[in-house]
Amino acid sequence: MIPIQYWLIFSSLLLAVGAYGVLTRKNAIVVLMSIEVMLNAANINLVAFSSYHTTLHGFADASGQVFALFSIAIAAAEVAVGLAILLSVYRRYQTIDVDKINILRW
Amino acid sequence: MLEYAWLIPVLPFIAFILIGLLPKRTLGWENGGGYAIAGAGGALVLSFLVIWDVLNGHTLTVGAPRSTWLVIGNFHVEFGIWIDQLTAVMLLVISVVGTLVVVYSGGYMHEEGVGRRRYYAEIMLFISVMYGLVIADNYLQMFIFWEFVGLCSYLLIGFWYEKPSAASAAKRAFIVTRVGDMMFMAGLIILFKYVGVLDFSALFGQGANSIVSRGVIPQDMLTLSTALIFGGAIGKSAQFPLHEWLPDAMEGPTTVSALIHAATMVKAGVYLTARTYPLLVQTPESLLFVAVIGGVTALIAATCALAANDIKRVLAYSTISQLGYMILGLGAGGYLVIHAHSGGGYAAAMFHLMNHGFFKALLFLCAGSVIHAVGTNDMRSMGGLRKHMPITSITMLIGSLAIAGMPPLSGFWSKDEVLAGVYEGGQFDPIFFVLWALGVATAFLTAFYMFRMWFMTFAGEPRTAYHAHESPKIMSVPLMILAGLAVVSGFALFIGDGFKSFVEGSISGLGIGTAGEGAIEIAKTVFTDPLTYVTLGLAAAGILLAYRIYFMPGFDRSVFARGVPGTVQRALENRWYISKFYDDFAYKVWYGFSLVADKFDIYVIDGVVNGFAYLGANTGSTIRRAQSGNVQRYTGFVVLGIILLLVFVIYVFPWGGW
Repeated sequence: MIPIQYWLIFSSLLLAVGAYGVLTRKNAIVVLMSIEVMLNAANINLVAFSSYHTTLHGFADASGQVFALFSIAIAAAEVAVGLAILLSVYRRYQTIDVDKINILRW
Repeated sequence: MLEYAWLIPVLPFIAFILIGLLPKRTLGWENGGGYAIAGAGGALVLSFLVIWDVLNGHTLTVGAPRSTWLVIGNFHVEFGIWIDQLTAVMLLVISVVGTLVVVYSGGYMHEEGVGRRRYYAEIMLFISVMYGLVIADNYLQMFIFWEFVGLCSYLLIGFWYEKPSAASAAKRAFIVTRVGDMMFMAGLIILFKYVGVLDFSALFGQGANSIVSRGVIPQDMLTLSTALIFGGAIGKSAQFPLHEWLPDAMEGPTTVSALIHAATMVKAGVYLTARTYPLLVQTPESLLFVAVIGGVTALIAATCALAANDIKRVLAYSTISQLGYMILGLGAGGYLVIHAHSGGGYAAAMFHLMNHGFFKALLFLCAGSVIHAVGTNDMRSMGGLRKHMPITSITMLIGSLAIAGMPPLSGFWSKDEVLAGVYEGGQFDPIFFVLWALGVATAFLTAFYMFRMWFMTFAGEPRTAYHAHESPKIMSVPLMILAGLAVVSGFALFIGDGFKSFVEGSISGLGIGTAGEGAIEIAKTVFTDPLTYVTLGLAAAGILLAYRIYFMPGFDRSVFARGVPGTVQRALENRWYISKFYDDFAYKVWYGFSLVADKFDIYVIDGVVNGFAYLGANTGSTIRRAQSGNVQRYTGFVVLGIILLLVFVIYVFPWGGW
């Protein structure tokens, strides 16, 4: 049985890696991928706590795993929407460099 | 009947509504004049019924029916009526003069066309609220009507509002009397703060029952309050130093001057002072103030009348001067009440009020008749009118003799009584001797300027080509009635117990002994007093001097243009520069202050407001650059925020004790 702390440290690192990707990468698709990484960090936490809860109380509680499944499904939908937006952005500006797409300002 | 006294102001008010709102073709005679005469006449009849009741010893002071006008929490504003001998005197003057003036207007205002509707409506409103003022049984009700008469005065002075001088005179009258009104109001606020009511019945207790003895109000606050209430009288009765509005008010129609600015509204200040007597006699300092203002006003106004060439202005200054007499009489009379337990001075002042109401209305209406005939106010273009206007010249001569104090006309009796009261006050404060001397000097000047006016107007030869004619009956009959009153009203002193003991009835609560002298004793007192002959002699000298200078040929009037007399003459023509002083004060001092205030407003107040606006705008234009549109930078701020929040929640808050 792997202690809960390890999972939490792992998911934190995963979140940090994803955030780094979101903040630094210029390619919008890579940014989108990094967001997926951050999302999965959260999913790992959900599953880890679900398993931890079972160990602690001696009976199985699947809600964490159910949440994770929901989250993955929604992430899939979100990626579809995100890619669709990127596609129309590309059609309009001929680029998906997030530094170039800065019309959302004063 | 007394319970129905509230109907007196209602009748003219109904006339006011009718004249104001009826369709044009139903206005009838003189564009509403018929309704006006009906309203004034109805009020006259009712007033006489009330006066008859009062003469028979009935008064209505406490326990009269009242109606609640306004309720604020526990504070009730009630309207009621208060009829005593003082009210009766005022009712007499208002009803008689009011009705005669309205009748006279039928001739005088004949050429005014459609403006007559406005004129009659405003006159009716004035008569209505003037009645309301004198029958009020509390100061608040009185103050409301007080402001109403001021409004009517404003409207009627500005009757010919298309004339700039009339419009500005109306404004001046309104604003200057407003200074007095504010003092009146401040006095009432002081009274109200301490006593909590403004009803006469609650305020006028005497002795152990007085509001000072009951510990309701400190003595010095009561003194301040009565002095301020008298401030209202200074404004309304055109006393020094707020007297300059009254000569300007002559811009209105002469009928208005006769009714409002001679016989009734300007008497409201005297009435107020007389009404406040139960409080004034508790504050001798205020009484002294009243007397000094009255005496100074009487003399200053009389001197100003010497050099006026406008016939109405002469009468206006003479009105101010005579009002000064009344105020002086009331101030001295208060000392007599306190020290000699005599209401003589008070009664004398009210006697003069009544007589003056009649003879001054007469003089003004005569002046109106002259102006109507000649078409100018300037006495320098008149002269010789005696032949063309016999009735007017004789009635005006009667009025002039009355105001000059020639026996047996009314002015002689009342002026003598006032001066006797002032002289008697000298036993208790020597300043009254000085004021008496001012009064006697005024009597001399009065006789002089009145006859200067009469000689310049009626005697001699015409100085310009005019086509004068005697006024129609509708104007001359009121003149004759008023002339009759000017002759006989003085004899009220001798009827029954005499006018004085009648009026003293309204201050019988002040612990005065009623004189109750018979006619013979009163006459004996008047004619055995050497002071009577001093006044009389000086008045006769005044008339003779006017005769010498303005009637007899061979007097070189150019001496008034040179040297010391010239300086005095110019000072008088400029009304002692008082008006100029006010103008200079307004133009220079006050305008300078306004400029400073304006600059303060522009640079400091607006500066602060604009500063905040600029601050907001500049901050905004600086900060908006943070909105770069770069998504990753936004996200970076979000992450930074989360990290800071976590640091705070985990480390800083526990350290701070949360």
